[in-house]
Amino acid sequence: MESILTVRNLRHRYGDTAALAGVDLSVAPGEFVALLGPNGAGKTTLVRSVIGLLEPTSGTVEVAGGSPTHAAVRRRMGVVQQDVGFPRTLRVREVVEGAAARAGADPAVAIRALAEMDLTGLAGRRASDLSGGQQQRLQLAMGLVSDPQLLVLDEPTTGLDVASRRSFWATLDRRRQAGAGILLTTHIVEEAAAVADRVVVLDRGRIVAEGTPGELKRILPGRKITARTSVAIETIRAADGVVSVAEEDGEMSISATAAEPVVRMLLEMDPGLNDLVVATPSLDEVLFALTGTDREEVAA
Amino acid sequence: MTARILRYEIRDELLGILREPTALFFSVLMPVGFFALFTAMFSGQATESPSTAMIVPFGTFGALAVVLMNPGIGLADARERGWLRVKRVSGTPLWVTVVAKVLAATPYAIAVLAAIALASVLIGSMPIDVGQLFRVIAVIVLGAVPFAGFSLAVGAKAGTNASAAILNAILMPSAIASGLWFPHDLLPGAIARIGEFLPTYHLARLAMVQVEGGPWMAHVAVLGATALIGTLVAAMAYRSARP
Repeated sequence: MESILTVRNLRHRYGDTAALAGVDLSVAPGEFVALLGPNGAGKTTLVRSVIGLLEPTSGTVEVAGGSPTHAAVRRRMGVVQQDVGFPRTLRVREVVEGAAARAGADPAVAIRALAEMDLTGLAGRRASDLSGGQQQRLQLAMGLVSDPQLLVLDEPTTGLDVASRRSFWATLDRRRQAGAGILLTTHIVEEAAAVADRVVVLDRGRIVAEGTPGELKRILPGRKITARTSVAIETIRAADGVVSVAEEDGEMSISATAAEPVVRMLLEMDPGLNDLVVATPSLDEVLFALTGTDREEVAA
Repeated sequence: MTARILRYEIRDELLGILREPTALFFSVLMPVGFFALFTAMFSGQATESPSTAMIVPFGTFGALAVVLMNPGIGLADARERGWLRVKRVSGTPLWVTVVAKVLAATPYAIAVLAAIALASVLIGSMPIDVGQLFRVIAVIVLGAVPFAGFSLAVGAKAGTNASAAILNAILMPSAIASGLWFPHDLLPGAIARIGEFLPTYHLARLAMVQVEGGPWMAHVAVLGATALIGTLVAAMAYRSARP
């Protein structure tokens, strides 16, 4: 299937610093791609290039076959940006009506977009008086009026409460099913894993890994084993295949290249073993392994 | 489609003006108040008819205050909020945003001039007939538009508060030296001579020509040059500004 977004060998420099060092990325219609990476990885530069705010040093970006530097192409996108404040003097309905006018859409779609984002009751309020989460929903409502082929969302769920977040994802899922491609940056790794068809990890301006959340988790070899056991920590550490062991509140946390020999050993040595859990590494741990960055630093 | 976007942009700008009553109060009331005060103060001076001498320069000041301050401060505010980024991503041509800001300032400037004219009627006599008044208003409003380029240039580069300070620092000395606050012929010689080089002076003189007659081409030429330079400066400032 032809991609709705195609990024080829994208490079951008800020002075001597390479923010993007040759990025290739595509998003197909109906595909949800999450972009993860630590601070300074180049996510914002990539997003700004995709939405036409930044002219890259080299490489190309195509949205629905055209360059986002053209206004007509940008109108095919719905965008939620970070750090956007609404004018103090405009009401919610007026903001979305203006977005519909800019998108060349019927003003009536503004009403539908407000309803879709559960903002109908706030239509008469000044947009700048809305909470942070409501403003994020308002931005998405603005993005929906053009019935976009591509949605680009830069940290869209920051400030959303649980119910709003659920409604936000439900809206995106409807749009995806209707055929829109979605590119999302988020610092909430579990969120990316839950909603994305494909996760792309960016670090120092390069894509260091990409695949489905399941595929990425398999990048880290081995398993994580936790259990309550009377076996001494030194004994476990000395066992074949054990990479590391930590003990906290009587619970052993073991990283091993394979789970079976370690579990067999624990069961043989400790018939009273309990709370045994064997898991694959989390996406958080994969990200840490790939970028050397913990979750607090994985912000857009 | 562009016309429709422009219509909504102008609507948003006008709503912005109407919904900021504090700004409206000061930008209309201040020039009207000072007009009344100075007309009374200079009524005994040996100068042109005091109301004539005052209605044109204070009208010029009132319109310039709106056209020089509003577009630039509005642009700076939109830029700081990230709202300009939203418009750019939405495919709104920059010129539409800029033209909407300037066009929205026009009725505002007309309102200021109308308020000064009304004050003139209320405090004494209206020194000019209706035809002259309309010509004066048309000249002042159209002649003030070239100053919007400088306003937008400042708004494209500086923050909201800094833009207000910079634009005030441009407006007030220019207004004083051009005789918009005190009659030009009562200013100290050096300041009066400096004023004669300023486009604000030529705008006021061109408006005065509508009442008193006299040569006008030099004033039009200066305002034409101001429009050209203002447009170039605004374009250069915006190109180098971060959206």
